[in-house]
Parts: sequence; structure tokens; C-alpha cells
Amino acid sequence: MIGAQLTGNLMQGLILGGIYGMATMGLSLIFGVLKVVNVGHGAFIMIGAFITLWIFTAFGLAPVIAIPVALIVGMAIGFVFFYLVMRRLIKAPELASLLATFAIGILLEEIAKLIFGSEFRGYNWAVGKIILPITVFPMSKIYAFIGSIAIALLLYIWFKKTRAGTAVRSVVEDSEGARVCGVNVGWVYALSFAIGIGLTVTSGVLLTMFIPVGINPYMGGGYTLKAFVIAVLGGLTSPYGAFFGGLIFGLIENGSYTLFALIPGVEAFAMTRFLSFLILLLILLIKPTGLLGAK
Amino acid sequence: MKGKIVKYYPLIPVYIAYLILFLIGINVSGMWQLVAMLAFYCAIGQAFNIFLGMTGYVDFGYVAFMGVGTYGMALSISHLHQVQWLGMGIIIIGLLLALVMASLLSIAVGAVALRLRGAYFAIATIGVNEGFRFLIEGAKIWGGSEGIIFSGQLTQTFGRETASLLSTLWADIFLFFIACIAAFITIYYMRGKIGYALTALREDEDAAKVMGINVTKYKIIAFITSASLAGLVGASAWALKLTYVFPPQVFEIHYTVECIIIVLLGGAGTLLGPVVGGLVYGLTKYWLTVIVPGFQLLIFAPIIIVIIVAFPEGIVGVLKRRFKGTTFKKFII
Amino acid sequence: MKGKRLLGMITFCAIFGLIFATTNTLMAQKVPEKIIIGHPEGMSGTYAKAGEQAIGGVRACIKWVNQTYGGVKIGGKKVPLEYKYYDCESKKEGVTSLIERLITVDKVNVVFAPYSSGLTLAGTPVAEKYKMLYMDHGGASDRIFQQGYKYIVQTIGPGTRYHMGTLDMIRKIDPAAKRVAMVYEDDEFSRMVLKGAEDHAKKLGFEIVFNRTYPGKVTDLTPVLSDMKAAKPDIVIGGGHYEDGQLFCRQMGDLDINVKALSLVASATLPAFHNALKSLAEGVMGPSHWEYGVTYSVEGAKKVNLGWIGPSQDEFVKLFKEALGKDVIPDYHAAEAGAQVLAYALAVEKARSIDPTAVRGALGELRFMSFYGAWDVDDTGLQVGHSMVDMQWQGGKRVIIWPPEAATGKLYYPMPTFGDKAKGKMAVPK
Repeated sequence: MIGAQLTGNLMQGLILGGIYGMATMGLSLIFGVLKVVNVGHGAFIMIGAFITLWIFTAFGLAPVIAIPVALIVGMAIGFVFFYLVMRRLIKAPELASLLATFAIGILLEEIAKLIFGSEFRGYNWAVGKIILPITVFPMSKIYAFIGSIAIALLLYIWFKKTRAGTAVRSVVEDSEGARVCGVNVGWVYALSFAIGIGLTVTSGVLLTMFIPVGINPYMGGGYTLKAFVIAVLGGLTSPYGAFFGGLIFGLIENGSYTLFALIPGVEAFAMTRFLSFLILLLILLIKPTGLLGAK
Repeated sequence: MKGKIVKYYPLIPVYIAYLILFLIGINVSGMWQLVAMLAFYCAIGQAFNIFLGMTGYVDFGYVAFMGVGTYGMALSISHLHQVQWLGMGIIIIGLLLALVMASLLSIAVGAVALRLRGAYFAIATIGVNEGFRFLIEGAKIWGGSEGIIFSGQLTQTFGRETASLLSTLWADIFLFFIACIAAFITIYYMRGKIGYALTALREDEDAAKVMGINVTKYKIIAFITSASLAGLVGASAWALKLTYVFPPQVFEIHYTVECIIIVLLGGAGTLLGPVVGGLVYGLTKYWLTVIVPGFQLLIFAPIIIVIIVAFPEGIVGVLKRRFKGTTFKKFII
Repeated sequence: MKGKRLLGMITFCAIFGLIFATTNTLMAQKVPEKIIIGHPEGMSGTYAKAGEQAIGGVRACIKWVNQTYGGVKIGGKKVPLEYKYYDCESKKEGVTSLIERLITVDKVNVVFAPYSSGLTLAGTPVAEKYKMLYMDHGGASDRIFQQGYKYIVQTIGPGTRYHMGTLDMIRKIDPAAKRVAMVYEDDEFSRMVLKGAEDHAKKLGFEIVFNRTYPGKVTDLTPVLSDMKAAKPDIVIGGGHYEDGQLFCRQMGDLDINVKALSLVASATLPAFHNALKSLAEGVMGPSHWEYGVTYSVEGAKKVNLGWIGPSQDEFVKLFKEALGKDVIPDYHAAEAGAQVLAYALAVEKARSIDPTAVRGALGELRFMSFYGAWDVDDTGLQVGHSMVDMQWQGGKRVIIWPPEAATGKLYYPMPTFGDKAKGKMAVPK
């Protein structure tokens, strides 16, 4: 009984974790290159969610179509904010960049509220289900999972195989060294920030395929905090580390519920949250470079 | 002897500002709650600045200490109100409990998080704040998610009039005290050994270590001081003043952001900064809610971005540069 | 040189003082022939949605009092109502300072509390200090009224009652349905609902097979719902606020958890619920303080020996749409805030005074009916007269199905399976 439930929850956790991972890659990329924590992360996820909603309700197109749209819109927003704000804050203390990204997040939320109102929205993309004896998966969740793996893989290839990707990697390793070697560091900063934001906005599309309700200007806050934990799990500087961090996080969050539910007198769901933050602290204490991070 | 007093000259403008604020609140009818709100912002700014301003470390989970302090006061009132002979003693016990609980938590957090730097430190402290909140809710500690409502007990113990005075006057006066103490500690640290050590740390932590400065010790001192003051702010501004505590409202990360905004607006690492920042922030926000209710954040967010980009050293930072080499220099740091 | 600096300092202080002075005098020109209602409502932040509704409801009813009713009668004169509201950003700091501003600067005669139990509590010490009447339209916690406050009066019904009617109804319709699962959000309000429902279910002889909570701002309920599925409930009651309710229903569908009845607090009663979930929302129920379509009327009021005041339901909806400038049907947040205006107006007439203490006394004795239903408070200020209704989504419309005297349609029972609903099945009774 417990075994079946645990297995079911772990399978759900794996799928959810893949999407969480994808939703954190942008954060890690930006931190890796610019050494800036994007505290407004969730607001960009929200933009992706609204893009999907708009494409689905206004044109009746499948949410999958929203992925390239979100990527382009996200990158455009990324470039704009980079040249207007972030460019001036790269050498500034953490304080300034943390606050700036937070303020950008608020600005986006308030603009979204002005345009869309504060209603909770959703859409209904019915494409069937896979029914297993222990649990049920709607196909939209499976598509979202496949989508996030594909995007993670593409990013990996881009990193390893292209000139631009190599330049970005060299800046992550050692920005001064890269500059000496003739890498246009300024351009790498801009490009990474834009791709990071683009990925985050795209993850908003995949997240709504997973959970197509509750779309609202303020929906991103919870995802920001989760993304922090996941990013640390994955080593904070590595986007694909973040992807695996997400997988682990999903497994922990859903799996531990079944175990906490066995303890009488505690609220199992709240305890899973407590556990995830406890793990965050433990990792920071023992191995700040992340579970999967290099030395 | 004279040198010793000169050291404390910069306190004069700070205390004058608090005095003016206090007098306006006492004498102008209907101003007290606004003044109390401004005092709250100044106090959290001042307390936050002790750690952030001196070390450059951004404690994003700072609000946790305020939350714990709130619980300290709430627990004291809700558990000890039946003990008749304590009387006003339960308020004092509440403040002490807030102080102790906040410093204990800060020691625990400090032991883990202070080994980290930069963004890692910021994320770790967020983790502490959220984790602690979910522990309270999940393990049903201190009433769990239902929180504690103790206004009835406050009224029973002290009578209607006194309870009302405690919530609407004394809680705010405590805030002024805390703000003044925080200002004094700031200058005491700045002009003492710890200040020099932390300045060295802020400039280059590794170099400071190599020079044989016990960086960790001073970091922890500043961290605990700042956290304890936050506990006191929580105990008075949230517990005693509002007479209830719900966990999601006292571990709300937005308050840390407000602290950061205040310190950054005024000027990080300056004495006068948090006061100026608190006043400017509080008044602007209040104005915007009165003039354009519902749109204040839309207006406020771009202003913050512009300030960060254009004046990263804050208002007092700019003033300091302007007054360099004049007699006012002594008063502004 | 020094003098110039000094001048600068003086100017600085002067500007500083000026800010205070203007803050104090701006909007302070009070017109003595008016009764002012003050309201520090959350128009942004967590409770922005409910706040917008409440403001719309208050404005609609003020307009009705001033135009149709002709104003509040005191001393042979008809005095119009005026409305003064600020945005507290759904934060406790804003509440205290704005309430004091409303009382001392704007000289309001009554303060309406902001939405939610927490923010309502935050304002009570200041309201009590000024001996100002403090009317609660959105703080459902029973505990607010156990603190011995003198000036607070509730319009919204207490939280413990939310799911009582639902359980009564199912007991009556299907005595065989015994297994109840309760899954609520983990916060003050939802726990209050949970506690009331738990006690009532035991009294009615239900078997509680599952009882858990989930944290606020949750984004995935799969673990707790899978767990619930294993308990094989007949009836599921739960919920908390808005997005979690949508998520709850959606993920029950994702996991194919089919039950005879599903009732969710707060979110299920809002139009956004059906807009977001479409056919998946069919047959879902929700307890509500008020729904468009309730059948309270002048005749109905006479039957139960209550006086009637206020607009008819359709008038209220029309006024509400004008007030917001949007074509939206008001929900219960709007109705309860609106009814509060009517209660206040009646109490002022009864007390023949606008003195808060006198009006508070009059409110204690007042009993009346409006489009919102009956109104009666006990000595502590707790609302005891208003009864809740239960609604169900049937063919995209909200139909009131309980209690029988307020019902506009019949219950569709059991709820269609999620599989059928995904194929477009509507929960419309034959």
C-alpha cells in the first residue's frame, strides 16, 4: 500500500522535478555568468504563463506553440533589462543587484496586473491521459516533461558545441582570463542574461502545461523560492546542474510526503517544505558547490 | 576625553531627527500612527544596517528574527497573563524572551550561514526563514498555522485603558528606544575595533584574514547584534502593537526587502542613512497610497531601479561627498 | 558660506515640516452635512481581488442610499453618505496608520475593516483606542470576537459555519454517503472552517476518512490528493482561498479522483473558477455568504418578520457594475461589504446619532433583511443572523441549491466523473 503510493508519488515527482529543473536553468545561467541572483525570477515565469494563456485562448493554438514565442519574447525582455539596468550593476555589490532584480520583478507584476487584472485564470488543454494502476498522468504533463528535457539537451549542446556557448563557459570559469583571451565579455554578459530570461519565460509555458490553472500576476513568488533551493542543489552556476537539481527536488518533495504522512500529529505537506529548506542548508554547509557541482 | 565625545557627534543629527519625529507625533493629533510607521522603518533600517552596512553581507532572511521576536512577546503574554504578581513584568519578560530567542536563532544561523559569502549567504538565510516558518506550521509549534491571538488576554490582565495604551502608544515608544539604541551601537561599533575589522573585511575578506584579523568573530558579533534588535522590533511593532501573530505574516520576505530598500536609499554603512532612508521610504509610500491607491508599487518599482543605478551610495552617501572637508563632516557619517 | 549651509539646513527642515503639515490638512476639508465611511482596503497585494470587490460593493450601496433612499435620516434631515478609502497593500503597517488617518484627518464616522482576519485584527487596537465603530466585512475568524473588543461588529458570517450547510444537505439527500475527506489550506481561516466542519460531521454521523492540510501558495497538490484517493471518500470538502481551489479541482481531475460531491470554500464560488476550469468545474459546489440569484425579497422579509432595506439584487448588481466600470457579476465579498453600508445607515437612524458608541449600541439590537439576507449580531459583535447558501456549477451557471428556502435550482448529485466532464458533460439536472 505505502509502497505503491510512494512509487506513484515518486513518478509524479520525477515529472514535476523535470519541469522545476527547467524552470531553474535560467537562474543558474545568469548567476554563473553575471554572479547576480535574479530575485525577480518568478515574475518572468508569470510572463510565460500569460503568453501561453493568450496563445491558447485567443488563437486556440496548442501551448507547445507558445514555447518559441516565449523564448523570443523572453530574450527581448532580457536584452532590454540588461542594457537599461543590469549592465551597470555587474561590478556593484550584491545588495544593488538583488534589489534591482527584485524591483524589476515587482514592476513586471504590476504591469501584468494593469493589463490582465488580478483574476486567477486557467485554460483546459485536454489531450488524454495515461492511466497506470498506481497513478494517472495527463498527457499534457508528459509533453511538458519531454519539452523540458529537450530544452535542457539543446542548451547542453549549445554550450558544448558552439563558439558562443564555449565563450559563455569560459566566462563562467574565469571572466578575466576570458577577457585576456579575446572573448567579448560584455557581449557574453548580455547574451547570457537574455538567454537566461528567455529560458525562464519558456519554463513558464511548460509549467502551465503541467498546472494550467491559477495564472495570476503574483503567481511567481513560490517558484522563486523553489528555484533557489534547486539552483543550490545543482551548484548554482551550472544550468544543467540545475536541471538535475530539479529532478532530485521533485523526488524529495513528493516522496517525503508519503513518509511524513506516517508521522502522527504533524502536517505532512508543510513538513516537506521544511525538509527541502533543511536540505538546502545542509548542502550549503557541507558542499556549497552543490550536490552535482564540481569542486 | 574630548576626542571620545567628538566620536559620537554624528549621533546628534540622528537623535534630533527622532526627537522631531517624536514631538510631531505627540503634539499633532492624528500623526502618531504615521510617526510610528516611520519609526518602524527607521528602526528596522538601523538594525539591519549594523550587519549589512558594516559587512556587505545581505541577510535576505532577516525577517525571521523579527518573526521570532514577535513570538517571544506573544508567548510571554499568552502564557504568563494568569500570573497576577508579574503585572507589567510580562511585557519585560516578553522583550527579554524576544531578545533571547532572536539571538539564539542568530547564533544557529550564523554558525551555518556565515561561512558562506555573497549570494550563497543570501540564499541560505532565505532558506532559514522559510524553513523555520514551515517547521512552525508543519510541526504545529506555538499554535502552528493558527498563530496566537492575545488581545483578549492583554485586556484582561491590564484593563481596557492600559492595554489600549500599550498597543497604540507604548509599543511605538519602544520602537523609538530601539532605534536610538541601534544608532548608538552603530557608531560604537564603527568607531571601535570591530568597525575597523569589518571595514577591512568588507573591502577584502581574504586579505583581512591574512592580516590576522579574526574576521569570523566580528562578523558574528555584528550579526547577533543586528538580529537581537530585530527581535525587539518584532516584539514591539508586531506583537505588542497588533496583539496577534500569524506565521505567514511575520515571516513575509517582503519585509527584508523593505529593510534593504531603506538602507540602500539612505546609504549603506552610514549612520544617518537608515534614518533618512526610512523617512523617505515611509513618507513616499504613505503619500502614494493616499494619492493613487492601488498604483503605488507600479510607481515605486521604477524609482527604486533608477536610484540603484544612479545613486548606488544612497542619499547620505551623496551628502557625505558634498560636505567633505566642511564642519558638517563631523555630523554626517 | 556657513550661513548658506545653515539656510540649506533650514530649508530642508521646512520642507520636511511642510510634508507633515500638508499630509495633515490635505483632504481634511470636511463637509459637516455628510456621514463619511472610511475604509483601508487591500487594493494591491495578496487580497487585491477581494478588496476590489468590497470597494465596488460599498460604492454601489452608498449610491443607493444617497440616490434612491435619499440619504440617512437623522434629526429630520437626510444626510448623504461619503466614502473615503485607501490602499493598505494587504499589509499590517498600512492598516494602523491609515485607520488613524481616516479617524483624525478625514474625520470619518465609521471605519470598515480591511479584508481578511489578520488585517482586521491589526486595526482593532487603534479603532478601540479612538472608540471608533469598526465594521468587519471580511474577517471570518470567530476568535476576533472572543477578545472582548467593544467597537467591532461583523457582517460576514463566522468561519466555523462554512461547511455546515453542505454536510446537512448531503445527509438529507444521500444518507448512504458516509465517507468524508477534508483537505484544507493550512491557515487561520481555513482551519476555522475545518474545525466547524469536523465537529458538525461527527454530530451528523459522518465518518472522517481523511483529514489533512496543505501549505498556502501551493503549486502542486498531487501528493496529498493521491493520498486522499487511497482513502476512497464519498464526499470531499476543503479548500482555502483562490488559486489553490482551482488547483484542487484540476488535479483531482488529473488523478481521476471521482467522488459524489466536491465542495471548496472561497474559490469555487467565483466566476474565475469556471472560466479557468471550464467543464471540469461542473457539479463542484461551494459555500457562499451570498450568490447572484439568491431569493431574498421584501415579501420574504415580511414572512420572517424582518424589516427590509436596500436595493433589490438586480439593482445592486447594476450599481456594482457602474461603480467598478466593469461588466462583472459581484461575488460575496462585494455583497457583504455593501450590506454593511445598509446596516450602518439603519443603525444611525435607529440611534438618531452618528456617535460611534450609540451606533454600536443600535447595531447590537438591529435585525433586518436586505439583498444579502438577514442581519443580526450577538453581544460580542459576532454575526449570527446571516445564513450561508451553497452553490453548484451547473451548465456554466452558479445555481443555489441549499438551503431549500433560498434555492434557485435542484442539486445535481452525484457529481459527474472527471472523465465525463472532460468530454463536456454538464451537471444540469433533468
